[in-house]
Amino acid sequence: MRLSYHLALALSLAAGPALAGNDPPRHQLRASADGNLVIGLCDGETSIEVKGLKPGDQMTREQGQQIADALMTGWRQKHPEAKWVAAAEPPTEAQLPGVKAPAEKQFQTYGAFSERDRRIWQESTDRLVAEGKRIFHDAKALGGTNAISCDMCHPDASNTHPETYPKFQVQLGRVALLRDMINWCIENPVRGKPFADDDPRLKALEAYILAQRKGVALDYGKH
Amino acid sequence: MAHKSIETKYYEERASFFEDLARMGALSRRGFLQIAGVSAGLAAAKGLIVPQSFQLIEIAQAAETATPGFTIAYISDTHLYTRNVNDRFIRSAVKAVEEVNALDPQPDFVLFGGDLAQLGRGEELDLGAQILKDLKAPLKMMVGEHDWFLDLGEHWRSLFGPSQYSFDHKGVHFVTLMSVQEKDFWTARGMTPEERMHTVAGLDNGIQSRFEVGPEGRQWLQNDLAAIDKKTPIVIFSHSPLYKYYRNWNFWTEDADEVQAILARFDTVSVIHGHTHQLLLNRLGNISFYGLLSTAWPWPYAPEGLPKLTVQMNRADPFNAFDGCGNGQLNVLASGMIDKVYNLWNRNPVTVRANYLSSNGANDRPPATTLASY
Amino acid sequence: MQLSRGKLAASFAAVILGGVLLALLGVAFTSSDNPPTAPATPTPATPTAATPAPATSGLATPEKQAPLKPALPLGISPQLYALAVPPGREPTAQLAALGEKLFKDKRLSIDDSVACETCHDPTKGFTDHRGNSATSAGVQDQHGQRNAPTVLNAMFQASQFWDGRAPALEDQAKLPILNPIEMGQKTPGALVAKVARIQEYSDAFKLLLGHDPTYEDIAAAIAAFERTQYSANSPFDRFLAGDPQAVSEAARRGWALFQGKGRCSSCHAFNAVSPLFSDQKFHNIGIAAHKQNFAELARKALGILKTGDTKQIDELALQTSYSELGRFLVTKNPADIGAFKSETLRNIGITGPYMHDGSLATLWDVMDHYNKGGVANPFLDGGMQRLALSEAEIDDLVAFLFTLTDDRFAEFNKAEMARQTSLKTNRPQRETEIAEGRKGDLGDAGITPDLRNPASIGAY
Repeated sequence: MRLSYHLALALSLAAGPALAGNDPPRHQLRASADGNLVIGLCDGETSIEVKGLKPGDQMTREQGQQIADALMTGWRQKHPEAKWVAAAEPPTEAQLPGVKAPAEKQFQTYGAFSERDRRIWQESTDRLVAEGKRIFHDAKALGGTNAISCDMCHPDASNTHPETYPKFQVQLGRVALLRDMINWCIENPVRGKPFADDDPRLKALEAYILAQRKGVALDYGKH
Repeated sequence: MAHKSIETKYYEERASFFEDLARMGALSRRGFLQIAGVSAGLAAAKGLIVPQSFQLIEIAQAAETATPGFTIAYISDTHLYTRNVNDRFIRSAVKAVEEVNALDPQPDFVLFGGDLAQLGRGEELDLGAQILKDLKAPLKMMVGEHDWFLDLGEHWRSLFGPSQYSFDHKGVHFVTLMSVQEKDFWTARGMTPEERMHTVAGLDNGIQSRFEVGPEGRQWLQNDLAAIDKKTPIVIFSHSPLYKYYRNWNFWTEDADEVQAILARFDTVSVIHGHTHQLLLNRLGNISFYGLLSTAWPWPYAPEGLPKLTVQMNRADPFNAFDGCGNGQLNVLASGMIDKVYNLWNRNPVTVRANYLSSNGANDRPPATTLASY
Repeated sequence: MQLSRGKLAASFAAVILGGVLLALLGVAFTSSDNPPTAPATPTPATPTAATPAPATSGLATPEKQAPLKPALPLGISPQLYALAVPPGREPTAQLAALGEKLFKDKRLSIDDSVACETCHDPTKGFTDHRGNSATSAGVQDQHGQRNAPTVLNAMFQASQFWDGRAPALEDQAKLPILNPIEMGQKTPGALVAKVARIQEYSDAFKLLLGHDPTYEDIAAAIAAFERTQYSANSPFDRFLAGDPQAVSEAARRGWALFQGKGRCSSCHAFNAVSPLFSDQKFHNIGIAAHKQNFAELARKALGILKTGDTKQIDELALQTSYSELGRFLVTKNPADIGAFKSETLRNIGITGPYMHDGSLATLWDVMDHYNKGGVANPFLDGGMQRLALSEAEIDDLVAFLFTLTDDRFAEFNKAEMARQTSLKTNRPQRETEIAEGRKGDLGDAGITPDLRNPASIGAY
């Protein structure tokens, strides 16, 4: 019933100013000719007759949702100009039984990010990943000298196991980070010059490889 | 832990020989029982010590797999660039040819499994043809997508002839299929031949079509097999796997089901395919599938779809340009079934007995993986 | 009486020396029922632990001896020491001293002509530096097929001999004594009887163990001595510990090349826990292919392997020419054909000639060998490829390798470097066209990287 609760809350907010100063509307419900249950909306106008349900009957969750939806549809048809405000997300903290959810959320400038922000962040990250993917597939961009690119042995960055670093890397004879192994591969099979630690190409490659293993548990040292 | 020199170990093995015989007596394999019985009897009668349990296993296996027929060597997926671009793949291709030439006795013929060139260029194909010319045994060529999609096979055909053909050899009917056709994805995108080739050359770009034999190829196959008796062993050479393994990387043949249906009526069918660069085994209905090793580089196993009968080869060491690569032999048995030898360079060879696939994995399981993919 | 740890560390050599003297003097030892290989007591070993209490009777019974607390040099990690010394085989001063005496005693050979130290000369970095002959000489001046490797740091190896056929030092020690072309004893019993007849050994073993020596006891004593031969106080160790001036500019460049373009560190692995410059694995780098018939020998051995008659291979292993099959003769793995162990590079400057057959005279020859991708053969490790190192880069690598010698041999190292430098003009292994990629198909040459700060590389 959470959804209908929020709809009603939003509705009363939207309708609120028009009613300011007056008594709350009293909804005079017309009776059903067949003795069915009649339910009214809090605007004092909209109502619905529920066929097959008598007053006092138990209704299911689905029936309740259908009734609420029908009432709201009716209201929105009557008020096409109404500005619809989406309800805020419910609080995510687990609520102790019997403890009311706080009315307000914490606020700070840093945390006040919108969907627009999220999109920008995601697109920025995806661009780095995409650049990594491009380099990963391009022997020239890797600075290679023998036309070998990463994807030839690692399609979709498979068999790179970024989640296993740091680990002892046999080819280096010592413990390595993912970037050490990327550079080793550039220097050896690809026969190019290893990237400096702050080279954006190295960062992009790392980003692409990590992105392909989203969701895989970290397991450093695994072989 | 007492030290054991070679010599000591040998004497100990001799001493434990009779224990081995006793153990073998408890095994159900008929071959073992017979051999062990004979050997133990001999040993008891003459008071001799028969050396080495290892020998018994060899004899037992020979008895089970029946008389050998003939041997085919294979080299596949050399992916040659020209010499000024890349020497590594040339080195590996030359090594493969030298090894096949060193086989004694020589194979009846050598199968080349496709992808001779990396980007389908005339110079690459010419270089490949020149390297393969050094083979002492006769050569059977198969085409791969890397050979094809620059000029749609023009240069390849000028060097090696038709891409689809069949022949009979010692009672086995061999068919080489052109199984890397793709539906036109390039015209609508306005791609140049080079762009088309580059697209097909990558596994994970998601742009190209899936491989297929195509309606014409299937009709050709149908016609070719029409007059062949169901008891005749069939061996199909195909670059793509002729089954559906992993679509995203085109480890896949779109019309595999239709092709398999054409082959369904035969008693013994083996498909030998290139393209996947790994030890790859499958059995579907009456068909045993064997992937070939590449000489150039190994591919990791796909994240899903790996046939359950595949015993993986170990992950490769990127320091070693040969590791995970190799060539091998197909030992065609008198039954028409195939024992396949994966000659993994710098590793011990892995032999897959025909019986392993035909028993659906119940018998003769190849040696297990120690470095599985994940 | 106890010494502080620091003082103990500083006086480690003195411990051994003291032990030797004690053993030579035949002093009686305190006794207990514990064998010498009993687990270590928590009491730190001190020179006084080796000091005998007065014998109370003529009957000597073995004493409880505390194992030596090793004063590990900079370049050896405690983890490696713990991994390498089997529990119960921690050397005691007494056993190590006895082992040293045996190690240096020619009477262990059939004709009193060859001791362990004949081929593992402590003054020459525990190798033999044989001049014109590449392989080591045994009784009646017979030459085998292999070049004596150094005893220094041998205790840390995962296996002994070039082909790893002995798992531990004790196992190793037993074999040359019986080898007909090394020390020539016919049987273990013959050696044991000979040693027991020598009064000082008979006494020493009785004092230490309470009985006459067995073959195992003799090997254990030699192994105990060898477990004191760690050696890693080198200029390079001081460099890594933070002293940039400990090695030359050329050596620092060499260290970067070692890990990069030279492709050395994959097999000659160096890291904080195992700073041996060796992966302890076996690789075919083409040295065996110097013998012209190598490929043919290998194919014959493989053919035999297919028949399943590994006994034949064991017989072949005793024939000289098949020695080149290396690790294969131990494992029967085709992948091991012509493969030999990656030796430690510590003290490499003073332990020439190089490779399992001693066929390379100088480190420049070694660089030339690798630079051309080794010697082609059907079983060559695919990690071998041409390196395209310039002459200056080769000099840098050699300069680096000479920094790996322990200070104990500093003078000898200097002399060896001078001697090898004087031979630099003679380069039989050099094939510049192949190394630079103008000839043959030996893979793609690497490109010279920008040198990163070598001190920041490779410590873990």
